[in-house]
Amino acid sequence: MADDEQSTDNPKPSGPKPLGGELILPISGLLFTIYYFTTIIDVPWTAQVSAFFVGTILIGLIAALIIRTSLRVKRGEATLGLGPLFAPKAYIPKRLALLGLTLAYIFFIQWGGFTITTFFFLLFAMLLLSDGKKKGLIFGISLALSIGGYLLFILAFNTRFPRGPVETLLKDVF
Amino acid sequence: MEIDWGLFGELFARTFSFWWVILPAILLGLIVGAIPGFSAANTIIILLPMTLAMEPEIGLIFMVALYASSRMGAGIPAILVNIPGTAGAAATPLDGYPMTKQGRAQQALAISFVASVFGGLLTTLIALVAMPWLSQVAYHLHSVEMIVIMLFGISLIATIAAKDTLKGLIAGFFGLMIGYIGADVVYETPRGTFGFLELYDKVPLIPALVGLFAVSEAFAVIEGESILTKRGMAAMQKAGWKETWEGVTMAMSRWWHIIWTSIIGLVIGIVPGAGAAIASFVAYQQSKTFSKTPELYGTGHLDGLVAPESANNGVTSGTLIPLLVIGVPGGATAAIMAVVLQYHGVTVGPDLFENQPELAFGAFTAMAVTYAIMILTVLPLARYMSKITVVSTTYMAPIIISFTLVGAFVPRAYVFDMYLALAFGVIGYVARKTGYHVAAILIGVILGPLLENYFLRALRISEGDVLVIFSSGIGNILWILLIISLFVPMYLDKRRQRQREQALPTTTDC
Repeated sequence: MADDEQSTDNPKPSGPKPLGGELILPISGLLFTIYYFTTIIDVPWTAQVSAFFVGTILIGLIAALIIRTSLRVKRGEATLGLGPLFAPKAYIPKRLALLGLTLAYIFFIQWGGFTITTFFFLLFAMLLLSDGKKKGLIFGISLALSIGGYLLFILAFNTRFPRGPVETLLKDVF
Repeated sequence: MEIDWGLFGELFARTFSFWWVILPAILLGLIVGAIPGFSAANTIIILLPMTLAMEPEIGLIFMVALYASSRMGAGIPAILVNIPGTAGAAATPLDGYPMTKQGRAQQALAISFVASVFGGLLTTLIALVAMPWLSQVAYHLHSVEMIVIMLFGISLIATIAAKDTLKGLIAGFFGLMIGYIGADVVYETPRGTFGFLELYDKVPLIPALVGLFAVSEAFAVIEGESILTKRGMAAMQKAGWKETWEGVTMAMSRWWHIIWTSIIGLVIGIVPGAGAAIASFVAYQQSKTFSKTPELYGTGHLDGLVAPESANNGVTSGTLIPLLVIGVPGGATAAIMAVVLQYHGVTVGPDLFENQPELAFGAFTAMAVTYAIMILTVLPLARYMSKITVVSTTYMAPIIISFTLVGAFVPRAYVFDMYLALAFGVIGYVARKTGYHVAAILIGVILGPLLENYFLRALRISEGDVLVIFSSGIGNILWILLIISLFVPMYLDKRRQRQREQALPTTTDC
């Protein structure tokens, strides 16, 4: 969806279309389906029938896509390049760093709790995306949102947000 | 059950007098509906001590108002930032978000509000009058008919991915396989779980929704300063009250569309377990099938936004019908309402209309009054809500990631679900960048377990005879409708293409 709109702002490159990226999801689907079949091979038919039906159709569809792509590559209309998957390349380090921060956020939230972990995640992620500019504003936004989140979701709604030392401490206060 | 118009009038007047209960419930419903992971059902559970302490009538009005407004609230982030608040709003961004990117967020919100309110109001009034007859629908739909309804859902996959049907079908069937993860319903055999105990109970829907829509979107949008296009940004900066009014008139001009798509929602809502997600996608598909401009769907088409919003609000009244008439809740929220009513000694079912008609009919008058109050309170907010789209992605992306991931944690309180949402985020990111539709994957994940359940039930009843799926009269009619809905768009496409080809030489001659 995002790409359709963005493409209107950027001129489309001419030449063979890179279709390698389009095969990532189908190949993942194929590998998952094969793995799934291995887990149901020795189970009663009730646990197999529907998955075999859907999985077989999926394999057939993937085969059709692979054949279609191969024919296009053979005719010189397409290549097996990854195309828009990592484009624009300048953003690859930022995306990977953001992914790393997100993994760290999930890892630490079970001990740190929502408030403090969210504060640090927002702070570092915004600093990363802004290339270290507007530090004061980013600090303020991160603080306001993590405290606001605590007040609304934990204190007011008593929602099951991850709890840590800050929440435990504040529970005794409020 | 005879219709007592005097009683209806009294009930409406009485329900309006409880505006002080309805108004806070609307505000709360809009907030919880807009946040992924917070459903009306969860909120009613959290507020259970409060609703149990209320008089049954007030408690019911509060729950109904919260339920109806949360349905509308779920469409707000779907339009503004491409993140549906609940699975029921998953079809809303298909055309709502492109409108936002074009700088027409305010119009899109106004269209969504008008379609939701009038769709919800109309179906509530229909439900109020036609309840005895509508309740019979649920009696006639068994596993065989439900299989066809589920296949209707799968046919949507092809419709949504109109640009490349093959890729759309791969995305959808991949979603179905993901939906099959978990223990089977008969022998509890774990299947495709990668050894994770957390997946034995199927793939939870909220992490899938959060990952496919929110996390993937956050990773995709960071390459731009804003989610808006340059023209969209310029349009947003100039936007004033005129745009809200424009959205209202655009939606009102599609009054017939609102009527028939909301009725689709009402009918599907009556079927226990079917839900708003299926209703909104079915309505979207039918809207596209019978549209004169199907090629514009997915690019910010007015009807593509009206259809799912009318339908998912039509579901709201539909789910209450089986609860009140036959005592079978049509969805999770309706089930919780039943628990609260039973706590107060109110037994839902046919006797309720004889013994406590003010409660039975009152649920629908509360819903109608909620919709009436809601349009007055929420419409002026469209202008201010739409301003969120001008916020830089530098701030937007991390906020989306952190709050939606925590939203994925809330329903089951498993950190695993946050990792799962991130995994779906990666799948969603690859899908977006390589031309697969995340909505098609989500439909598969939603429909997978439902399809398997009905398929197994039908096979067990027929002792393994696959032809059972053609054994029902209603089912066969639905099969014919399914085939028509698959082939009519193809026929219409070809006809339009022929017409264009015929028109081309004439234009050149001129």
